[in-house]
Amino acid sequence: MSSHSHGTQLARIHGSRWLPYMLVLPGVVYLLVFQGIPLLQEMRLSVSNTSLLNPSRFNFIGVANFSRLLRDPNFFNSIQVTAIYVAGCVIGTIGLGLFAALLMDREFTGRSFVRSLIIIPWAAPPVAIALVFRWMLNGQYGIVNRGLEPLGLMPAEGLWLDNPSLALITVLAITIWQLFPFTAVVILASLQSVPKELKEAAQIDGAGLWAQFHAVTWPVIRPTVALLALLMTIWSIRRFELIWLLTQGGPVGSTNTLVIDLYRRGFIINKLGEAAAVGMVGMAVSVLVTIAYFAVANRATRAEKMR
Amino acid sequence: MTRSEFISHAALVIIFVLAGLAIFPFYWMFVTATTSDANMFAASPQLVPSLSQLGIFAQIFEEGAVKTWLANSFIIAAGTTVLTLALAIPLGYAFARFPFWGKAGVGIGLLVTQMLPEAVLVVPLFSIFSPLGLLNSYAGLILANTAFTLPVITWILKNAFDTVPVEIEEAAVLDGCTGINALVRVVLPVIMPSVAASAVIAFFHGWNEYVFALTFITNDTLKPASVGLAGFIGEISTPIQSVMAVGVVYTLPAVALYLLMQRFIVSGMAAGSVKG
Amino acid sequence: MASVILNGVRKTFGAVNVIPGIDLEIESGEFVALVGPSGCGKSTLLRMIAGLEEVSGGEVWIEGRKVNDVSPKDRNIAMVFQSYALYPQMTVAENMSFNLRLAKKPKAEIRERVAEAARMLDLEALLDRKPGQLSGGQRQRVAMGRAIVRSPKVFLFDEPLSNLDAKLRVAMRAEIKQLHQKVKTTSVYVTHDQIEAMTLADRLVVLNKGHVEQQGSPLDLYNRPANLFVAGFIGSPAMNFLEARAARGDGHLRAQLADGNALELDPALGVADGQEIIIGLRPELINNDAGEAVCGEVIMIEPMGAQTLVYFSYGGKTVTAIVDGEHRVAVGETFRSGIERRRIHVFDRASGMRRDPE
Repeated sequence: MSSHSHGTQLARIHGSRWLPYMLVLPGVVYLLVFQGIPLLQEMRLSVSNTSLLNPSRFNFIGVANFSRLLRDPNFFNSIQVTAIYVAGCVIGTIGLGLFAALLMDREFTGRSFVRSLIIIPWAAPPVAIALVFRWMLNGQYGIVNRGLEPLGLMPAEGLWLDNPSLALITVLAITIWQLFPFTAVVILASLQSVPKELKEAAQIDGAGLWAQFHAVTWPVIRPTVALLALLMTIWSIRRFELIWLLTQGGPVGSTNTLVIDLYRRGFIINKLGEAAAVGMVGMAVSVLVTIAYFAVANRATRAEKMR
Repeated sequence: MTRSEFISHAALVIIFVLAGLAIFPFYWMFVTATTSDANMFAASPQLVPSLSQLGIFAQIFEEGAVKTWLANSFIIAAGTTVLTLALAIPLGYAFARFPFWGKAGVGIGLLVTQMLPEAVLVVPLFSIFSPLGLLNSYAGLILANTAFTLPVITWILKNAFDTVPVEIEEAAVLDGCTGINALVRVVLPVIMPSVAASAVIAFFHGWNEYVFALTFITNDTLKPASVGLAGFIGEISTPIQSVMAVGVVYTLPAVALYLLMQRFIVSGMAAGSVKG
Repeated sequence: MASVILNGVRKTFGAVNVIPGIDLEIESGEFVALVGPSGCGKSTLLRMIAGLEEVSGGEVWIEGRKVNDVSPKDRNIAMVFQSYALYPQMTVAENMSFNLRLAKKPKAEIRERVAEAARMLDLEALLDRKPGQLSGGQRQRVAMGRAIVRSPKVFLFDEPLSNLDAKLRVAMRAEIKQLHQKVKTTSVYVTHDQIEAMTLADRLVVLNKGHVEQQGSPLDLYNRPANLFVAGFIGSPAMNFLEARAARGDGHLRAQLADGNALELDPALGVADGQEIIIGLRPELINNDAGEAVCGEVIMIEPMGAQTLVYFSYGGKTVTAIVDGEHRVAVGETFRSGIERRRIHVFDRASGMRRDPE
């Protein structure tokens, strides 16, 4: 029996064929009003030269915003920064998360306690995180420099977030610190679905740790890791608060991701049209990544079925 | 020590180091808040909290602003939670149970909205809210926040509804419960843990949210704690102890509730956002 | 008066015709089992009686009322689900009383009816537990209790025992039977297990591919299966089927088997000379030295204690027989036995239909 007929039946025995529509309508209307319409308006803005100083004036200028972006070195800088930031986030959170998950996937005293501690950064508000890291990385009194100074590892003038060559890597480290707990716990959950007998069979076959991971563990967790990679990509492209509060995109544009660039153009330079154009580029990248992901995932499932 | 013993000991050490790194900044926030002025700039930093300085947490509440910020954050977060659940429960239920025209379209819509950066929608939402008088209001922030929590929570709840056998609902129908009644009396109680987890996730989205609050709220009496606290960044007139104390007070409820609900939240997030 | 009447009931899912049309009358107080292999439409039929599944055509009558458009809760029926479908957040007592509470029955009456059902099913000590704290058998009893409390006109059972282990299944089978003897409510019971159906029901309805192959009392179906499907479905181990050709002469009727053996049949059977037929031999009836000889080389034996299954070659096939456990047989020996002539089933090979003496 198909689930389709089952669902229709359920709607009927609940007394109305319109029930699903009554359930869906409020949420759909809500999303249309507060996501759909603003998105359309943002698209419209991207072909105008509307300014924050006069936000209701609409003046159609075609693709001028986009062609200006193509000639703008700052824009290419943001693309580059975004690419490094996203790649760093994905590799860092998944690498560290996988590592931590594998370490926690064994019985030891205090395991659930450790797991609770590790999840904390993910639960904390970005504003608080930005605040405390800025304090810890304070050039003069920050605990990081105070710890590193005696070891001779302090960067020039003790600058981290205000250092053009270190700011991006520092922001990246803080982001990974906040997000790896999430990937670790999700991967840990999927590790627990690896059949124990399979690991034992591999051990009896003489497989070492790496061979066990490669032959038994990885095939089970691979879909989860792939989905996490997609999620980390989309979240990194979207991330605003943490970066904005840590560096505001500086110094000299070294942490100026697309979303930060968009906010700067809109609210600091007052050019809403240009900001919207940057937003469209960001959106397009997210959507393309997702489509690519699902295309690959579908091909993988099909290949799986063929076997 | 054999090789495998060595590996498992090393693993244990690494895992405790990772856990230490994860909580150190929060510990440091607390230590800083309770450091006296004299110790703050001493040659060697104070590394443990001094309990004699705990009065700082009472002090920060004496000033009206902090209380107002936290109260505002609470109202915005609670409103976001209620509105999100009110919309996401029926939506998730319909997605789990019924076929309907346009289901695939709505599903794609829910997926795409998860990709929209808040920063992209700040401007258009600003221009929509402005004529409606929703700027400088709790309602405006609640409406904006819910637009971003709704897709995720809908998926979490859809996956939870999927785990409830249809037979239970059929039994309820035979017992005389139809439509919304079966949902409320029989199905929802079964997935209460997921609903609670969703509520916590929505609450802290509202509690943590910054961009909309920064842009839509100019009236100081309506500022939530995220904006209030961010105002301290780069500002030097407020003592760092007070700033960190506010940070602790602002972080604590989020972390505490997450820890209480972690089992449900993690599985919910994993199922909801990952599978979604 | 008939309690449940199905009148040309049809069910289609999209283009798939699951049930092309079924007529069935179930008497008041009768226990009817709908039995058949998975996918035969038995569960769908039950769900249509319950109102959980829409009827694509035809009529469903319950207690003299046409219920095609009556909602499930108003059909005066109760259903026991395969998965029990207990409400996990409610206690046993709350599960059992949910319907009465929804119907806003007086509290005292609810309490009394729950207590009575609990007494009947030995659930009194469990009333405050949640389903999660119960064993499979206990959950099963609660599911039945929930049905009894309503005192419905018709009980519907959808494979209620298939989630239990073999031992518990036998025990619960007995409980259901006793319960029915006590309350005498019309019952429709769906199962794929023919033994369950035989032991429980007054009448079996054998379904295959959405139509009724045969209906009747358990012994009727066992002794006179109408066709090859029923013959193969009822009885365990299953009936042996041997292909043969009928040969008439001198007032005798013989079945010529593939391996050259022949079986003497009742000459009164409606079978023509040269007709292609199928011979059906029940394993448990190949035990009569006086009857028609059935002999062959033993291929395998399965001792089960009281009885032994003997597999031997006969008629070009491997034939199963059940002999007494004391009977010594060894692989490679010739197994010598026989079957009473009147116990031999004969079917037309082309149509699969039973042939009786004319």
